[in-house]
Amino acid sequence: MASSTIPEFTLCPACQGDPRTSINCSACRGAGVGVSSPDGYLVWTAAADHFSFGFRKLRLKVNAILHLFLAIIVVACFGLFFFGVARANAFLVLATRDYWSAHTWESGFLWLGFFLLCFLLFRLRVYSERVKPLPTWGKSKRDLARLAEKTVSDPHHAKEISPHFQEAAWGLVERAYALAEKVGRIEVEPVHLFAAALTSSAGGIFMTRLGMDFEKIKEGLVSLLRRAPAGSPTFLSLAAKKVLLQSYLQAREERRKTVGATQIFLQSLLAEPVLQETLDAGGYPIKHVSQVMEWIRIQEQLQEEHSRFVALAALKPNTAMNRAMTAQQTVLLNRYSEDLTLLARNGYIGPVIGREKEMEELLRAIESGRRSVILVGQPGSGKSALIEALARRMVEEDVPQELFDRRLVSVHLPQLVAVGESGMAAQQLLAMLHEVGMSGNIILVLSGIEALTGESGGGPMDLAETLASELDKGYFIMIGTTTPQAWTTYLERRSLGSKLVRVNVPDMEPDEAIRVLMAKSGYIEYQNHVFFSYAALEKAVQLAARYLTDGHLPESALEIAKEAAVLARKERGEQTFVTAEDMARIVHEKTNIPVESVTQDESEKLLNLEARLHERVIGQQDAVVAVSSAMRRARAGVREGKRPIANFLFMGPTGVGKTELAKALAAEYFGSEKAMIRLDMSEYQDHTSVARVIGIPGDERGGLLTEAVRKNPFTIVLLDELEKAHPDILTLFLQVMDDGRLTDGVGRTVDFTNVVLIATSNAGTQFIQDQVAAGTLLEQIKTTLLERELKGIFRPEFLNRFDGIIVFKPLTLDDVTQIAWLMIGSLAKGLEDREGITFRAEDAAVEELAKAGFDPLFGARPLRRKIQERVDNALADLLLRKEVARRDIIVLEPGGHLRVEKATTKI
Amino acid sequence: MISRTGSIAKYFFIDLFGSVVYFPAWWYTVGFWGVLRYFGQALSYRWTSYRFHIWLKNFFVPMYGQEDWSGRLVSVFMRFFVLLGRLIAYAIEAAIYFLFIIFWLLAPPLCLIFFLQSLYRGIV
Repeated sequence: MASSTIPEFTLCPACQGDPRTSINCSACRGAGVGVSSPDGYLVWTAAADHFSFGFRKLRLKVNAILHLFLAIIVVACFGLFFFGVARANAFLVLATRDYWSAHTWESGFLWLGFFLLCFLLFRLRVYSERVKPLPTWGKSKRDLARLAEKTVSDPHHAKEISPHFQEAAWGLVERAYALAEKVGRIEVEPVHLFAAALTSSAGGIFMTRLGMDFEKIKEGLVSLLRRAPAGSPTFLSLAAKKVLLQSYLQAREERRKTVGATQIFLQSLLAEPVLQETLDAGGYPIKHVSQVMEWIRIQEQLQEEHSRFVALAALKPNTAMNRAMTAQQTVLLNRYSEDLTLLARNGYIGPVIGREKEMEELLRAIESGRRSVILVGQPGSGKSALIEALARRMVEEDVPQELFDRRLVSVHLPQLVAVGESGMAAQQLLAMLHEVGMSGNIILVLSGIEALTGESGGGPMDLAETLASELDKGYFIMIGTTTPQAWTTYLERRSLGSKLVRVNVPDMEPDEAIRVLMAKSGYIEYQNHVFFSYAALEKAVQLAARYLTDGHLPESALEIAKEAAVLARKERGEQTFVTAEDMARIVHEKTNIPVESVTQDESEKLLNLEARLHERVIGQQDAVVAVSSAMRRARAGVREGKRPIANFLFMGPTGVGKTELAKALAAEYFGSEKAMIRLDMSEYQDHTSVARVIGIPGDERGGLLTEAVRKNPFTIVLLDELEKAHPDILTLFLQVMDDGRLTDGVGRTVDFTNVVLIATSNAGTQFIQDQVAAGTLLEQIKTTLLERELKGIFRPEFLNRFDGIIVFKPLTLDDVTQIAWLMIGSLAKGLEDREGITFRAEDAAVEELAKAGFDPLFGARPLRRKIQERVDNALADLLLRKEVARRDIIVLEPGGHLRVEKATTKI
Repeated sequence: MISRTGSIAKYFFIDLFGSVVYFPAWWYTVGFWGVLRYFGQALSYRWTSYRFHIWLKNFFVPMYGQEDWSGRLVSVFMRFFVLLGRLIAYAIEAAIYFLFIIFWLLAPPLCLIFFLQSLYRGIV
């Protein structure tokens, strides 16, 4: 972000910076205000009125015409000379002294032509209005530091800044003036500059990137434009001059070549808090605005740096040979590697943003004693990008002496170890290292160095010791990369690990990841002919950090951005916008987690979730409401992000709907009744079962639970009969409920923040039944249950982790009757779908079934058996005897009798 | 700020007519310095690209890692001739620049004198 600190402005003591007085002020010559800087005492004295703008343009035009006229005369002089020579047929005597000493008329034209050519050259250099580069342009860091040592604060050493303003910046000031005049204001204020900037190309890019709808801010902006006192003539206000001075300072700080519209745009915005509020009210917070400005700045800077890189790259040899030509051919190495410096030199490696600290650490380690380095970071965190950045710096030779005139060569380790036999692989490695040593100009890059260990710590393909002993000899420098897990498991305690300087490459912070996306977005946009808005980039980073927990920033966000660009192009064609919604859709497709904005349909579905769940679950109001509310909180994004969506413990007797509610939720919201991970805790009663849940070290298959959640992070985890689980398993879930994550046996962290954790338990069933029968309130039952009955079964801190412990009350006869209707309904639907037969039941028959199936101890389970015995069996007999055909109606009558009503044929 | 009349007057008397007077002053001061700087940068870039110091430092280091005596001998000869070739190329480039600087210094007065002589001869 460009500096927004306000410098110390000095007002002219004579006119006090008043625009009307300063115009004729002899003390400041119209500046009114100035600011100290190492470049001089900065002032803006250029007049800003119709005459000045018009005169400036006229002057440029007259100069251009004059120069064209001069050029024509020059050409005419040379033409007359050749005409004279040709007419006199004097070509042969041109080389003689006599000809030139004769001073003929045609030679006179030649000399006049040359003289005027010199004059034209002078005029073009001095009088054709070119933007002057800033004094800081092209200066080295050392020169800049030297420059910064002295600050000129004497107004007698005033430096006019207007010649450093690009044509676009001048145009912006002119438009701002015209605008202020049009709305009848006496002063051009920063808000006029801002409004004029919106119509510049920088403003267009800005609005596009911000996804700004001008209509949203139009009203507020128009009222701001009319805020200043009315009157005429119009002058450049003191605040506007300050904005121009700060624009210069910003361009200077960013080491830009000239001052452009971009700087005026940002500075005018920063100067006006009211403008910021207007944008904020329109839905564009200042943070977004600043980030978009940063984006534009990064892209402009990358363009400027590209030309510098190309110039420097031309000085780097384009072969494997170093400049001293002391290197050797590396035939074997070439087979297994690629030359990163050569790739960078030829433009195949793009510029890298960020990771300055890690780069400094890397270079320091090498510089401090030719030590080899290991970059330790998660896949996708930017280890390769760091190495690519090093390759680019080596091309520019912006590196310590140890890396000067060297090549960065990346070895494909999988190819090397793929020879199969360890002896042969070791031989190949030694031969390659011999080539590296003989050549003397190679820095080796070994990505995923754990491949050399055979990934089993001393397995059959273990080449780590070989490499370690060669590193000991110190004839080459190596940069390796690995993951933190592999470092701990395979390298840290081995001799190879002890010989390497560790440089950590941590996951990128979201803000820095956004900057990386800003830098890379240009290429993706160019490839797909689409445009990203800032909101889209921010969303990609947010969603990647939140939901793609298997990946790491910035790569995970980059992947989303790339896919969203393709999606947007395919759906809406080229020249379209990639929005935050596109990013959300990609993440939804990848994770199955609904992260897009809630649609009207979905909103209705969520608001009516209770009713829909009650279509399957009878009674149990508290449980249904708790689950529905949790889902609404999760979808609206108002929950705490570091825990599962909800952790519920359903208590109560068997057959009262605990599992059924989980299934109903899965069917309603997760798409299918089977969209849940169900673990029967009775199968996890001993301590060895922990390994089944989370997997064992070294086994990439992972655990039953962790792997299932890793593959499908948006799901229900149903833990049936929790009280039967081993205490170690309960400890695992303690962590899940608290942190929303679990580390599997391989060391991968599995994200549980998008699961609904439902545990069911029959513990205390007798107590619940007794209390319900005695008419105790459910809330009171729950309290006693927690305080007394469950004490010996679950630890208090475990119970504390649940968002809700819900007691399912035993079913009443009325409940069972309703369930009977549901079951009959489900039976009828199946029959209709399969056989085309209609099935209905009489009320008395269903009530009879419900009474027969009602058992306060076992809930609705006996009912299912009764329906099987009395209805399903009779129905099967009917169907087998072929006594019923399609379109017939079967009626269930009291006593379990099935009556068949034959269909009447109507034609 | 400069007044309107002042601006117009400045343009006519300094930018248009004044440029005739300013031309020789600029030519031998700012312009000449610019030319010197441009050629200086060009020569510096060439010097960097020829890498004389690296070649001199490695004068006796065998090329392509040919450590045997014949390799070393060939290397020394090669390095000598390459250095010599680059030095000659550099000298030629510098000479061209030098000639241009001489031309820069002499061109305006000589062209003017020769032109006036031709004019005088034509009138006479």
